[in-house]
Amino acid sequence: MNRIEAEKLYENSVRILKSNQHENGGFYASPPGTRYPFIYPRDHSISILGCIHAGLMAEARKGLEFVLNSQKPLGEFSQRYDVDGNDASYKDLQIDGNGLVLFVLGKYFQATGGSFFKEMADTAFIERYWETIEKAVSFILLNKNEEVDLIHTINSIHEYPAYEHGFEIYANCACCAGIYAAVSMGKVLGKNVSEWEQQADIIKESILTRLYSPRRRSFIKCIRVKDKNSKPIGYDPFASTVLDIDAAEYAPAYFELIKDNDVKVMTTVKRIHKLLWDNEIGGLNRYPEYWGRNNGGYGPWCHFTCELANHYIEIDDQDKAEMYLGWVVDMAHNYTLPEHISTIERFELWLEDYTNAKILRDSKIKLIDDVRMHPKWKDGLAYVTIPLIWPHAEFIISYKKYSDKFH
Amino acid sequence: MIRLENMFPQAFLVGVVKMVDKDGPLETIRWLQEIGEELATLEGPGFEGARENSINYLPICPFGSEITEFIEIYGYPAEFNDIVNKMYELKNASDKPWKYPALTHVMGVLQHSYSTKRAALAGAELYNLGSKSPKGEFKQYNEEALEKAGMAKEVIEELLERSFYVYKIVHPDKE
Repeated sequence: MNRIEAEKLYENSVRILKSNQHENGGFYASPPGTRYPFIYPRDHSISILGCIHAGLMAEARKGLEFVLNSQKPLGEFSQRYDVDGNDASYKDLQIDGNGLVLFVLGKYFQATGGSFFKEMADTAFIERYWETIEKAVSFILLNKNEEVDLIHTINSIHEYPAYEHGFEIYANCACCAGIYAAVSMGKVLGKNVSEWEQQADIIKESILTRLYSPRRRSFIKCIRVKDKNSKPIGYDPFASTVLDIDAAEYAPAYFELIKDNDVKVMTTVKRIHKLLWDNEIGGLNRYPEYWGRNNGGYGPWCHFTCELANHYIEIDDQDKAEMYLGWVVDMAHNYTLPEHISTIERFELWLEDYTNAKILRDSKIKLIDDVRMHPKWKDGLAYVTIPLIWPHAEFIISYKKYSDKFH
Repeated sequence: MIRLENMFPQAFLVGVVKMVDKDGPLETIRWLQEIGEELATLEGPGFEGARENSINYLPICPFGSEITEFIEIYGYPAEFNDIVNKMYELKNASDKPWKYPALTHVMGVLQHSYSTKRAALAGAELYNLGSKSPKGEFKQYNEEALEKAGMAKEVIEELLERSFYVYKIVHPDKE
């Protein structure tokens, strides 16, 4: 990896995080005038996590205030918000947002305390938002199915119900980790959180057994079930399993439910690398090409590549960590990162598929124009949505970990 | 086709027809509005759908499939027309006609009360500038809302080519 370039990308990533936080506290998913000029709790949470790793604690706090103040009456955090914190969703429930907000709030709380936790931790902030935390946990548990002890969702990290409707791994790990974070915060405040802890333990156990295939030696993507209250779920009209590979199957370690050197994680990541590393462009794809939703052309995603780099850093595999992070550094354009990268051929194939199937939305016209106008097009590459803030936050996190560990 | 597991939307629409027969269109309108407002309060402030500056629009038609399927099975009930006509009667008699929906079907009453209540919770007003029927065969405009929003009909007509409902978000405190 080119360390000088990596340092510049890190510095610019910090700049990008700072410049894409609205004065009200929300982090845009992509800058105003581009594809996602709204605040998506999933992206927003990772941006906050990026801030924490970069030491931007005031920005992290402001981001948390924004999202915590925007909670819906039932305790849900929406799919997306406008800059004033009004719900601006256009998709169904994405419950991983609840887990993520709690998870990063816990990280913020931990980080404010550091080595002098009792004296330094921002306890007042957690106390101020305790009711919000309670409602967020309650909302997660409202969506728990008592037959399998997992959280039901319609969308998850890919916003793709065809493969995520049911008991999906990323959403479950995020929610479980979120409850654990709430438990930790509650304990510091002296609250009785034993019931939450018990529930988190039950969900974790279910993730590690029902969402893991011993014969495949891999976590699986989803138990597909239409209705959260289906009982028995075996009679649900969707009842099936999604066993395909997905970068999100790394979630149990990403959300710290189990360690990276756990054999379940090791073998899952091996499978992810084998099946999703892009042999033509490099980088990590998010799911198999045949899932058929490859807006802008099938290709590797910068933030998933960074996420998996964390695994190799954790298990001391510097070569692989360099391979992953080095790819991100090499693909940055003027030290900015896109959502994902494709080739002209794959881009045109996607366009043909969607045009023929008549599923090309009007909103994709701008995406198409932007990709073709981007300077990388002349190099044969399709840069889709650049910059996206999420990969910059993930790069900050993984590069910081890399630097701390290996240098 | 009805199966027990998917009969709820059809049952609700039959209920609307029965309610008009029993209590008349005005009572039914009020009932639908109350449902919309109640659900909006549970969901909280917000503006569902796509957004371009202060224009909010819905690229898909809420209840569109259910209404279409219902009409395919039962035909178009006269009671639905009673509701739509009563709504326009109320609008014409109102001194704030811009607050009414550009109605293309009966469930627009529920949707409008839900959407405007959520906007109100966000401290805003929502003007329904134009709508397209679930199958796209006709469009309706609220002329007074267009005037109040200072928007040309042609602009909304163009937006309705790729959507079913177009709203203007107005923040009284920011005007």
